[in-house]
Amino acid sequence: MKSKECVAMILAGGQGSRLGILTRNVAKPAVPFGGKYRIIDFPLSNCAHSGIDTVGVLTQYQPLELNTYIGNGQPWDLDRSNGGVYVLPPYTSAEKGEWYKGTANAIYQNIGFIKQFNPKYVVILSGDHIYKMDYSKMIRQHKKANADATIAVIEVPWDEASRFGIMNTDEDLNIVEFEEKPAEPKSNLASMGVYCFSWDVLEKYLTDDENDPESENDFGKNIIPKMLESGLKLIAHRFDGYWKDVGTVKSLWEANMELLDDDPGIKLDDDDWRIYSRNPIAPPHYVAPEAKLRNCYITEGCDVYGEVDHSVIFDNVTIEEGAKIEDSIIFPGAVIKKDAVVYKSLIGSNVVVGEDSRIGSNDSSANDFYINSKICTDDITLIAPDIEIGDGVKVASNSMVTDNIAE
Amino acid sequence: MKNDLMGLIFAENPEAAMGELTSIRSLAAVPFGGRYRIIDFVLSNMVNSAIINVGINTQYNHQSLSDHLGTGKAWDIDRKGNGLFILPPKEAFEPGEIRGGVDILNGITHYISKSRQNYVLVSDCNIICNIDYSEVLKFHVENNADITLVYTEIPMISTKELSTKIMLDVDGDNKIKDIQVYPIQQRTNASYMHMFIIEKSLLLELLGDAVAHNKHYIAKDILLPNLDRLKIMGYKYDGYCRKIDNVKNFFDVNLELLNKEVRNELFGKNNDMPIYTKVKDTIPTKYGKGAEVSNSFIANGCVIEGTVKNSILFRGVHIGKGAVVENCIIMQNSQVMDNCLLENVVFDKEVVLRSGRKLVGQDTYPMVIGKKTVI
Repeated sequence: MKSKECVAMILAGGQGSRLGILTRNVAKPAVPFGGKYRIIDFPLSNCAHSGIDTVGVLTQYQPLELNTYIGNGQPWDLDRSNGGVYVLPPYTSAEKGEWYKGTANAIYQNIGFIKQFNPKYVVILSGDHIYKMDYSKMIRQHKKANADATIAVIEVPWDEASRFGIMNTDEDLNIVEFEEKPAEPKSNLASMGVYCFSWDVLEKYLTDDENDPESENDFGKNIIPKMLESGLKLIAHRFDGYWKDVGTVKSLWEANMELLDDDPGIKLDDDDWRIYSRNPIAPPHYVAPEAKLRNCYITEGCDVYGEVDHSVIFDNVTIEEGAKIEDSIIFPGAVIKKDAVVYKSLIGSNVVVGEDSRIGSNDSSANDFYINSKICTDDITLIAPDIEIGDGVKVASNSMVTDNIAE
Repeated sequence: MKNDLMGLIFAENPEAAMGELTSIRSLAAVPFGGRYRIIDFVLSNMVNSAIINVGINTQYNHQSLSDHLGTGKAWDIDRKGNGLFILPPKEAFEPGEIRGGVDILNGITHYISKSRQNYVLVSDCNIICNIDYSEVLKFHVENNADITLVYTEIPMISTKELSTKIMLDVDGDNKIKDIQVYPIQQRTNASYMHMFIIEKSLLLELLGDAVAHNKHYIAKDILLPNLDRLKIMGYKYDGYCRKIDNVKNFFDVNLELLNKEVRNELFGKNNDMPIYTKVKDTIPTKYGKGAEVSNSFIANGCVIEGTVKNSILFRGVHIGKGAVVENCIIMQNSQVMDNCLLENVVFDKEVVLRSGRKLVGQDTYPMVIGKKTVI
């Protein structure tokens, strides 16, 4: 195998349980975003644009849809004779077989994969953030500083810093201390879960970590603190673009809505940094004479006869006459029937919303059986993929609907 | 399952008069329907009919076509041994040289003979339809035909329209009795779709024979003289079918896509035979707060702030605030800036209309603005 200077590993095995029913059958990185994308399109496109052509995607939880989606990597220009994208599920060997126990263990179990390419550097990415980042800048800084590990950090508001892994640095951006969710943060530089390691160093630490029965085999909890303890050179790489965790129903909803802002935090129509995706094969969308579209995203394959205001509509959605969609996200293939009203909701793929029904209702007569305050907050309503909502049904806001509702 | 059928497509059509639209590209590469090129229909039909070997005969101007097709990946036809072959002529045109279908096919006999398939489907590029060629092949084999011509039934049409049509006289057993090339009078309703299936060895034999007799045209010089000698059959295609060969029908057929039945049939919603095209990774279309859009067909990547009615917008079109666009076809990355008025106009790619300008064409003859024009 030809040697590669850098190999990227994307941790894509997470369930993303705070997304509730959206991740019942798919891993979090396969969750749709922004009208035509999946979350994993962002790290994969970033790799392609950063000149990283060898990428391992570590899958574990519900991998079928994600594996099918990644396929041979062609949409991201990662179908290469030398390198390319590889889906890496856990496997069994002669001695043992086990699941990925933690982020570090997942990489540990794939040391063999990485070694084939004899890389100098390994970039570790997570598959659950929306951001555009040039990893080559981080690798350049890592090389220049002759660091053992470089961790991408982003400034977060001080009052939110205690929710993140915080890096305390000196004035030269050397990391002196790492604190996971500190009650009283000393810095507001949060780790983005994007790391660059010199491979020889990482391989040794992964092996040591595996042999430590006390370890949770996690980068943030074990590997990084161990490296700091041993006095290795860890530096911070500042990133100042848009970076959003979309791990909750609320944050996923917000990130989609932010695309509709006059000056959105993340520009998806950047010719020099396109977000690649597996494009649906669908004709342009049709807008009927009676349709009304305001401040929204509409994707190819849709048929719009009703009203859409401040919403993101994925491909092949049908919105029938008299239907009204507001502040909502409609995933691919859903059908919103005549005169239905959808307010502040996430409608799963291939859902059918019946005539005259109302999704996201504050009316006291609404069906409140599915209210789920753990997953759905801020009046956001979530309808699971493939669900059918009958004609005239009212679904209370903050519901997570997991069964068909006939009436 | 794979078919024992290969495809050949002519990227040009001597009868087509597309004006400005083909001054910089071949007929096959003329943009159509919001995100497609004309050739996408015939080519996708072939792919959907399990044809895995397609040769495309280009004559000139094939750069934009080659760029569009690439290796055929978007059509899933980048195959080992088979695949997509762009076949430019070996020699440039001599002044006064006649180059008909016979001459073009004669120039690629090497490609035809080394192909592994036993049957050849020869088609023009400018037929907009959604047809399953495996049904045509089945018909061809079952009828033990030498040649099968595909036709569609049309109503009575004007002499002018008739002058670019080849009309067929088909008997009750689907056998072709007569062929009228560019007739003055309409005697039948069977209009040849410029697609036929033939066994490879017979095609090569007929080509050799025609060339030896200094003949140039497929219909006139191969089909017509052999009506009695060979079993030439007609396969009737019942679906939606339009031939694009002038600016007016280009305009009209584009606007016919605003009809739901046409869309569902043409884009394979009914039969799971989608039309493929080059992927561009454009974002969804953004509608602004002041957008007023009705009865329009809109591709990804547009930004719409103004009014759009009865129009087709290709990928990446911008319509500014206060602009009004009606009965228009606006191709990729064109920009209509604020407060413009546009009616019955075709914009080629990357046209810019500066703020406040007005352009009005006639619905009987739309105005065409060439690629990259700035007004």
